[in-house]
Amino acid sequence: MKYGALQLLREALRGPAAWQPLWERRAPAAAYDVVVVGGGGHGLATAYYLARDFGVRRVAVLERTLVGYGNVGRNTTIVRSNYLLPENHYFYEDSLRRWRTLARELNYNIMYSPRGVLDLASSEEELLAYARRGNAMRLAGIDAELLDRAAVARFEPALDLDVPRQFAITGGLLQRRGGTVRHDAVAWGYARAAAQLGVHIIERCEVLGIARSGGRISGVETTQGFIGAERVALAVAGRSAELGRRLGIALPLETHLLQACVTEPVKPMLGTVLIYMFPGAGEVYVSQSDRGGLVFGGMLDGYPSMTQHGQVTRVRDVARALTALLPQVADLRLLRHWAGMNDMSMDGSPIIDRIEGELFLNGGWCYGGFKAIPASGHAYAELIARGRANDLIRAFRLGRFTSGHVLDEKGAGPFPARQ
Amino acid sequence: MLIACPFCGEREVAEFEFRLSIAPWGVDAAEQLYFRSAEPARSIEHWQHVRGCRMWLELHRDLRSGAILETRTDLSALPSESPR
Repeated sequence: MKYGALQLLREALRGPAAWQPLWERRAPAAAYDVVVVGGGGHGLATAYYLARDFGVRRVAVLERTLVGYGNVGRNTTIVRSNYLLPENHYFYEDSLRRWRTLARELNYNIMYSPRGVLDLASSEEELLAYARRGNAMRLAGIDAELLDRAAVARFEPALDLDVPRQFAITGGLLQRRGGTVRHDAVAWGYARAAAQLGVHIIERCEVLGIARSGGRISGVETTQGFIGAERVALAVAGRSAELGRRLGIALPLETHLLQACVTEPVKPMLGTVLIYMFPGAGEVYVSQSDRGGLVFGGMLDGYPSMTQHGQVTRVRDVARALTALLPQVADLRLLRHWAGMNDMSMDGSPIIDRIEGELFLNGGWCYGGFKAIPASGHAYAELIARGRANDLIRAFRLGRFTSGHVLDEKGAGPFPARQ
Repeated sequence: MLIACPFCGEREVAEFEFRLSIAPWGVDAAEQLYFRSAEPARSIEHWQHVRGCRMWLELHRDLRSGAILETRTDLSALPSESPR
């Protein structure tokens, strides 16, 4: 079924019973060319591009719970390509370009909203650091604008630049094409489009182990039995370290928690995505959802955890930074807050690589995996189908940790809690 | 989470900073630096009571339940150079 205005009108008249499920619920087949482990954004996008661009016919996505229940549905929906290092420039820019046309390609409204991502500075030194990053971006052909105080005030009228008293806003770095994407729609849109190309999406199917025969991978053992596979591609977001341990693969990852919060809905008051470092309380990033809630988050909880419940002290810090920046929201009630498990890698950058034989890994996304989904899915599919990494993901290889070629955007060193 | 500082008693987690998980000895440099993800059932970690007595602690924690299993003062490995 192709979605469009006429079809929407027809279905509206016929009532909700006429709508079809987005993809078929099904039991696994005996064997596949590629089994993708993980039905989140990266796994579904990988399966879609394998089928669409690389001619792989028999593809299955195995999801432990339900499609969209993991980090693809637990993030703050921000997309951007405003990185400092060249390896990150070209990869994230590829992703941002794909976001722009993705709704049309998938025939599914992912609600890409290029409302701008504005990093705010509260000192001259911070503004200089943004100038450096902006210049690096412009040399790579990526849009970046350094805004002075007046320009910040014009661009986002919700801000009073002198409100954070000792830390008045001195300017900012704006990427206009950055913004937000409706996160659940990304999972649903990729799943539907992949299923239309013949991909099997199998939910409630947890991988328990890799099966080998004669030294080669022959498939996966799952809660729904053995499934044969020529190639196995992992894409399990914050559970890579855990799954790696189960499969006997040592990975340079720690599992950390990142929390996000949403307030009760209010009328439109914030037109862009703001990122602000409030000295003493830490970072906050905030946007307003189409429903009206302020969606915001900050830094990691700061120590390893696999519990999926965060510390309220972090919520307090992030709320303090938010209300220092936007005091007019201080009376809003917090509607929800939640924690997601993150693969924190030892250099803050992801890993997309062949692990051994026909076993592949896509993980280590730290807190930045959502924005990477289209580029990651496409490049990972190419790696799986052709057996070699393209230029966009060459720097993301696992071997960088033993060869010393780490990709450390922040320069924080091998301390995941500080990345 | 509350951490029982052997010097100060039970304090809120916000008073502490996690420093790192400890890998077993006898591994090479890359292993020591990068491939040191913790055993979830008993993650051995250095913390510092930065907003209290500033002493170093070794916590053994269960990452799945979040429970603190043991709090020690005799660090089983030297703290790495502080990242700050």
